[in-house]
Amino acid sequence: MSLVWFSGLLSRRPLRIWGAALGVALTVAFLACLGAFITSSTATMTARAVQNVPVDWQILLSPSADINTVAQATQMAGTRALEPVGYADVAGFSASTGTTVQTTGAGKVLGISNTYRTAFPKEIRPLIGSTAGVLLAQQTAANLHAAVGDTITINRLGLPPVQVQVAGIVDLPEADSLFQAVGAPKGLAPQAPPDNVLLLPQAQWHQLFDPQRVVRPDSVRQQLHVRLSAKLANNPRVAFSQVHQLANNLEVKLAGSAVVGDNLAARLDGVRADALYAQTLFLFLGVPGAILAALLTLSVAAASGTERRREIALLRVRGASTRRVLRLASLEAAAVSIAGVILGLGLAWLAQYLALPVGSSLGSVWTLLAVGLGILLALSAVLLPTLAALRTQTVSVARQRVGRSGVPLWQRLWVDVALLAVSAALFWRSAASGYQLVLAPEGVAKSSVQYEAFIAPLALWVGTSLLAVRLLEWALRRRAFTPALRPLAGNLAPTVAATLERQRGLLSRGAVLAALAVAFAVSTSIFNATYQGQSRVDALLTNGADVAVSGTTASPASSQLEALRAIPGVAAVEPLQHRFAYVGNDLQDIFGIDPAHLTQATKLVNAYFIGVTAQQALLLLRSRPDGLFVSQETVNDYQLKLGDPVRLRLVDARDHQYHVVSFAFVGIVREFPTAPKDSFLLANADYIAQQTHQSTAEVALIRVSGDRQQVAAKARALAQNLPGARVTELSQVQQRIASSLTAVNVAGLSRLELGFAVLLLAGATGLVLLLGLTERRRNFTVLSALGANSSQLGAFIWSESLVVVGAGSLAGLLIGLGVAQFLVKLLDGVFDPAPEKLALPWIYLGTLLVAAFMATLIAVGMARAASTKRVTEVLRSA
Amino acid sequence: MPEVLVDIRDARRVYELDGREVVALEQATCRVRPGERIALLGPSGGGKSTLLHLMGGLDTPSAGSVTFPALGQASELRPGKVAFVFQAQSLLAPLTALENTALPLILGGMPEREAQLRAMGALERLGLASVAAQLPEELSGGQAQRVAVARALAGSPKLILADEPTGQLDSDSAKHLMDTLLKALEDRDTALVIATHDRSVADRLDTVWRMRRGVLKTIEGALA
Amino acid sequence: MKALEAVDLYRFYHIADEETRALRGVSLSLEPGELVAVMGASGSGKSTLLACLAGLDEPDGGYVNVAGQRLTRRPEDERDELRAKFVGTMLQSDNLFEHLSVLENVQFAAILAGRDQSQAADWLKRVGLGERLHSRPSQLSGGELARAGLATALVGRPAVLLADEPTAEVDASTEILVLGELEAFCAQGGAALISTHSPELARRAGRVLRIQDGRLADA
Repeated sequence: MSLVWFSGLLSRRPLRIWGAALGVALTVAFLACLGAFITSSTATMTARAVQNVPVDWQILLSPSADINTVAQATQMAGTRALEPVGYADVAGFSASTGTTVQTTGAGKVLGISNTYRTAFPKEIRPLIGSTAGVLLAQQTAANLHAAVGDTITINRLGLPPVQVQVAGIVDLPEADSLFQAVGAPKGLAPQAPPDNVLLLPQAQWHQLFDPQRVVRPDSVRQQLHVRLSAKLANNPRVAFSQVHQLANNLEVKLAGSAVVGDNLAARLDGVRADALYAQTLFLFLGVPGAILAALLTLSVAAASGTERRREIALLRVRGASTRRVLRLASLEAAAVSIAGVILGLGLAWLAQYLALPVGSSLGSVWTLLAVGLGILLALSAVLLPTLAALRTQTVSVARQRVGRSGVPLWQRLWVDVALLAVSAALFWRSAASGYQLVLAPEGVAKSSVQYEAFIAPLALWVGTSLLAVRLLEWALRRRAFTPALRPLAGNLAPTVAATLERQRGLLSRGAVLAALAVAFAVSTSIFNATYQGQSRVDALLTNGADVAVSGTTASPASSQLEALRAIPGVAAVEPLQHRFAYVGNDLQDIFGIDPAHLTQATKLVNAYFIGVTAQQALLLLRSRPDGLFVSQETVNDYQLKLGDPVRLRLVDARDHQYHVVSFAFVGIVREFPTAPKDSFLLANADYIAQQTHQSTAEVALIRVSGDRQQVAAKARALAQNLPGARVTELSQVQQRIASSLTAVNVAGLSRLELGFAVLLLAGATGLVLLLGLTERRRNFTVLSALGANSSQLGAFIWSESLVVVGAGSLAGLLIGLGVAQFLVKLLDGVFDPAPEKLALPWIYLGTLLVAAFMATLIAVGMARAASTKRVTEVLRSA
Repeated sequence: MPEVLVDIRDARRVYELDGREVVALEQATCRVRPGERIALLGPSGGGKSTLLHLMGGLDTPSAGSVTFPALGQASELRPGKVAFVFQAQSLLAPLTALENTALPLILGGMPEREAQLRAMGALERLGLASVAAQLPEELSGGQAQRVAVARALAGSPKLILADEPTGQLDSDSAKHLMDTLLKALEDRDTALVIATHDRSVADRLDTVWRMRRGVLKTIEGALA
Repeated sequence: MKALEAVDLYRFYHIADEETRALRGVSLSLEPGELVAVMGASGSGKSTLLACLAGLDEPDGGYVNVAGQRLTRRPEDERDELRAKFVGTMLQSDNLFEHLSVLENVQFAAILAGRDQSQAADWLKRVGLGERLHSRPSQLSGGELARAGLATALVGRPAVLLADEPTAEVDASTEILVLGELEAFCAQGGAALISTHSPELARRAGRVLRIQDGRLADA
């Protein structure tokens, strides 16, 4: 029996079953894709983070510990590489160039085995000369003016100096972690890596520093550098606990004879907060879409309410019990669930190939969750209207609710305005104190999301939607659209306006669905554009420009400027001096720029400077040749006031000695392309060149208009002429800072969400026109019998669509902008510096507009065809 | 001989329904002249509506001809020259009784204010002024049908075609409606064709044409 | 045993603070085999009376017995069961499920009444719809819809048939057929209560009840 009923529904009520199933499918597909994206992006973040850790563990041995015992215990934890490294403090190094002798301050001498470089390739980057033997750090070589083959004197502590011959010059890119204070209490300011470093073969190091250990035991330590072999979990939170526990176990086992410097856990610690941040952010971006799809599904289901009420009334007349009615409805719900879920998973599978990044997988708990929610949605879509119909059925029979509908409770209580007020209050409070979306205390395995942060945008979302309904209903009631309808409907305009007024409930509901779809698309696209733009600024800050050529003072990139400019696809090349200067006893990086032309090759953001815009900062330097920007820290240390003279010591090319050069303090700089995160200095390149008698620029910044990779390859070929020079390219950098959320590519998510938004918009518009179809078909029949021509009939449909799409889009745009503003505010926690303003993706917004218009056009066409079809047949059966 | 409003010759209308051919109208021949009061009497499904739709230019015959010698082209009949009254629910739900009545006038291009004045006049003549501002769902079945009649009369058409106008009314309301309609047309030249299965309705008109299974039997009235 | 018995039915509606009395003390009874017509203007309480008699509405006062069993003041499930078993209903329109064919509609009605569905086609042939078994309701004319509605009401072989203006929208031949079937139903021991405006139907009924302002006035 149920089968007859059910097959009848399936074949003759296609919109009711398949419409609801399609809504469920969209919801399931979207949630599953969102989940797949989140899972894959988290896994990527973990994988990249782990990849970028130069040394997983640095185990510091206590002076009395036996290195072999510790090594054995460590191997039990599972290692792929294990290398002993000796660390010795020395008083300094000296070297003579011709007649002058250069001497450095305190430094460190490392003892490494000849397999170290292959085991930990990220730590040592050879620049010039041999990769084995005595290796001198680049900066030390610059300080000493030492080259390969030169002899260096090591001033040991408490022992006579010794001499070694330099076999190669190297760079130590990961000096910060290499020279970290292992076992130092948390919260202690990280110490700066030593300025002067020399690397010795293990045997030679022992020979020179075992004696020093005897006289100065505090100055010589040994570490074990470890690469773990354990397979880590995809989720950074889990991986963190895994590594953290391994390290703890080892420390317990070693009972005080060694401390583990857990670089891997520290990196994962950072990533787990980022991953949680990403997850929450993506959810916040995506959930409105899912809610919208669910609303759309419920509306489709509600559209069959009259039909359903009629069916249930007849079933009851024929003696069917409430239970039986519910059983029949459950069967329908089951069909909608099954069809919706299968269709949804199919769609998700398709979307996975079309929109999501490679490696995304639907095989996660997210997909299960999506299926569960889909089933829940299907059940509510069918059973809620059934229950409602059953309730009205028993309360009264044959009693019609006559009259014009009243004002809903939320409008009488001004819920919309209250929500907006709440949103505004929370926003100002948060804006004042700064958003802190994710709390992940360092070193603690638990991290938490500040869900309160979402109340403000959520209240904005709901409040504006409700306000839009109120305003639209008010306008429809006042027939405010009558003048606007004149061009479309002529003298029929008041009649059309009256029709619209009486349909205001349906129209405003449709307009809100359209508004939410538009808002979803707008906020997503603006967020995406801002995110991409900011991500680029972030990468530019690290790399300096699209492509950067970093040479040395001895072999400067500026020698190749013309050749670089000649590379096809290069838009601009600007030189950048990168040298070192003593501020008191502190050696800092100093950058010399050409303020008139620098921005041709790179982008400066206002947040780089304090108190002035980037533009003003450059003007300051141009007007003051000896102008100097310094870091906040330096200002504090030296109590500087604007205009104060600052005396720096720079190397003069004539005698390779540091000489005092006088600058004027003109402002504070926070960040600058290629500059380190800590203290640095910024001045005019011309002034530095004139004072140091050296006009070369170590770095060349290249802005590319063509293919970045190709330009970088050509630049690399040119850099062969510059010993020690390095060519870096933007996407490489984005890869390198990948542990951070900024490097996650949100393009897949955006593609997914934007495609979905267009579908939803078309759905919302089509739905409204479909919802009124039965009623409209009757009206159209009457109208054509009365003699309305086709353009007069069209006026009714067009004005309905225009109210829905027009008012909906306008409200949607406002909601979208507001929500985007919130989202970008949330990004304060991700980007440093924070984005200055929203980036509006005009092309996308234009496309959206066209898509909305096309969807409307199609919906109107279909509604017209459906409404005017078989007028005489409708009449005959009436 | 007065001019002919509708001239139907050998008109046949065949529908495709459910894969089978249904003959709704067989070889009908008839004429409608100004001032005639014609009842089209017959069981439901007998082809009455089809003939009425042909007369009003809502439908075209599968064979034979339908012309409107005194009215012009089929496309020029509505609004204005021919008005329809249907069985039930022919008022537009979102519009008040007044707006419904004014609708054909507005569709014909009359300015809104003038149309409303005319419509109000028509409602007053039928004793419906008090319900002018009410929505169809607030009217009784009899009132709604009388508003539909007012709407048909408002445009002063040459021909009124009514399809079972009393079909859903109880006998008192049906009588009231017929009284109203006939009284309103009393001194007018307007022709009236009512399709009905109710003999008591048919008995009140001058001419009765019978229809059964698509076959029309006309008995030419006094004006022939 | 009486087929249908109603004693002192009262029913009030409250719409916007205004009390409408739809039924004010209606009592009636039908013996098996009786055909009774109820006549009255629209709004006189006819529809409310039929709803109470079918157990679709609960009267505020009085009680209803169907085939000797109490229908009022019972749990809804039991009322549903009694209605399915003993009461056949034919409405003025909307007697059929739109998504089922004519035959499926009648079969479904038989199943709900707990009867054998194999007689469905016979019933349809009997009311002259033998060639329209697989048509959908939307493809039927008004008269055909009424015949199919009659078939769905009678296929469950109820003790009592309640019909609300069954001939209001049908042509003369259908009216004759419906009346014939009603008489045949009563001849086999069924009791029928028909609300109508049709003088023809009233003439053929054994008894005519007039209802006005919620009260019965015997004719």
